[in-house]
This record gives sequence, structure tokens and C-alpha cells, in this order.
Amino acid sequence: MDQIDILSGLEPASETYRARRERPEFVSGAELCRKTVLTPQNGFEISHAMRAALAARMARFIGREDLARTYDLMLDEAGINELLTTIAAAGDLPEDLDAFTVALVRQADLVTKTPRDSSRADIERLQAAGLSSPQIIALSELIAFVNFEARVIVGLSILELVA
Amino acid sequence: MSAGFKVKALEWAPYIEPVEVANATGEQLAAMQVTPSNTKVSPYVRTLAHDPESYVARTKLFNAIMYANGGLDRADRELGALTASAVNRCVYCASVHARRYIELSDRSDVVEEIYMHGLGGSFEPKIQAIVDFCRTLSETPSRVTKEQVEALRGHGFSKSEIIDLIHSAAIFGWANRLMHVLGHSVPIEAK
Repeated sequence: MDQIDILSGLEPASETYRARRERPEFVSGAELCRKTVLTPQNGFEISHAMRAALAARMARFIGREDLARTYDLMLDEAGINELLTTIAAAGDLPEDLDAFTVALVRQADLVTKTPRDSSRADIERLQAAGLSSPQIIALSELIAFVNFEARVIVGLSILELVA
Repeated sequence: MSAGFKVKALEWAPYIEPVEVANATGEQLAAMQVTPSNTKVSPYVRTLAHDPESYVARTKLFNAIMYANGGLDRADRELGALTASAVNRCVYCASVHARRYIELSDRSDVVEEIYMHGLGGSFEPKIQAIVDFCRTLSETPSRVTKEQVEALRGHGFSKSEIIDLIHSAAIFGWANRLMHVLGHSVPIEAK
């Protein structure tokens, strides 16, 4: 069983579990994508710990506390501190926080909650805060992955409950 | 039927500078699948190639979800993609997948209803079940109901097919958060 099975409450004997295995490329593909956004080989100086904290925060905003806790665990392993704990807990940021980190968190919040309102100004704000193009892409892929994963888990969880 | 509503093809323009093929690293070239006989790469691919590791993994997953054989009818996957794109107001993705849906289903009337009246428009029951489920999953996942999934089962969709539908809507929760965030649609320039 993988993280998506566990968080979706799939029992290995269930029809939903078996049906998911008919698409092995979805199962392995999602896990590979998780690695490339949470623990990439080249992280463009956005640490694995920061990525886990942002993922936990987004999962909380989406309403999947269980998913958020798996990212809390990843954060524990990557090295936690007070700021990262605050970010992960979906808390308000300290007022004296550096512009770079504020920009990361703000973008994760906005694109998770109101993607439809995204505009050029949001990207310019990231650039003004010092994010390079590779960092903007890496951040966007991380945000989008967590939103994807949460939706797969929600869908599978409910499918498991239906005859 | 196909003489009906048409959706204009659009191009996509990024807000950040895409990778230039001439300056790309080996890893970026491999990700973009650049070869001596294939040097034309779209702005979309060159933009995402700034992070080749995630680009390669996601593209493989995306292609499996949208194009794998068997399972859910490909037209219905496109309808899932279109519904998500309408929720997220990704004009570019919506135009691409509305056109593909019409090609595969010959149902320009469904696309016309979405473009004219939005996802709250009225659809025949089977289409309505797909739209309602994918709309809620895209908008507010915590509000997806058992009844919505039962409605899909009631219209004859197997669990395997519903898994395909979940993935097609979810992968556009991903794709829209790239295309609509990192750039915007523009009219195709006359050549």
C-alpha cells in the first residue's frame, strides 16, 4: 500500500484498491512526481523542509488534515524549526519574515485557494522577492502536485464508500 | 451535429522567460526531447523545462491519465479536463480540451452550454453527473458527496472508469495551476 491508498482508506481486498492497480502508471507516476516536487535532486535552493512545510499548509487549506500530517512527518525528518512549524500549521507568518519566504507562502496560499484569480502581477511579485525562473517553476509544480494529490485522495475515499 | 458551436484555438504566452534551446543544459534538452531534427519546442515546454526533473515525471503521468488505453472513454476524460479548466478559469486549457472533447464526442452542444451558461447550465443526466462530480472535486474537494459518486455508478460507470475520471479532473487541477498561473492565452497570430 502506498500513501494514496492509506489516506484514501482503501482496503487491499476492496474493488477500488484492485481497480487502482489496473492503472499501475497512475500509482507509480504519482509517487515519482511526489519525489520530484518534495525531495528533488535539484531543489533550486528551496529546501526539502520548506517544501514539506508548504505541502502540509496547502493540505490543511484543502481540508485534508490526514494528508497534512504525512507532510508534518516529512518535515520532522527534514529538520523542523519554529518558522517551518508555523508555515505547516497554516498559521499567520511573523511580521519580520524575509520577503522571499513570504512570497513562497503567499503564492502557495493563493494558488491553492483561488487559482482562477492568478495574474501576471503574482508572478512579478515572486520575481521582485528574488525568486529565479527555476524557483518559480519548482514552486508552481509543488503547489499543483499537492492540489492534484488531495483531489485523487478525496475521489478514491468516496469511491471506496460506494457500492 | 458538428456544424454547431466552435471554440477558437488559442496560443499560450508565459509571464517568465522560457529556456532558450541554445542555452539549455543537457538535462533540459533531454526533458524537452530536443534532437538535431527536432529543435522547435513550444513556449510551454520551454517554460516548464526550467525544472526538468518535475517536468519529465509529470508529463509521463499526464499522458497516462489522458491517453492510456481502455477504461473511461477518452471523450469523458476530456470533459473532466474541461470542467476543471472552467472551474479554474484556465481559458487556454479550456479551449484545447473543449476542442478535443468535440472531436471525440461530436457533442458541441455540451460545450456550447458550458461556454454560454457555465457549469451550472443544464445537461442530460449522464453528462450532468460527470460535470457535477468534477466541478465539486475541482472547486472544493471537501464537498464531494457519496451521492455524486453514486450518480456516476447509476449511469453505468465502473469503479475503474470513475478512477480514470478522478484522475482526469485532478490532473487538470495540476495543469491549470501551471498554465493559468505561469502565463495566459493569446490569439493565434496570423502567419
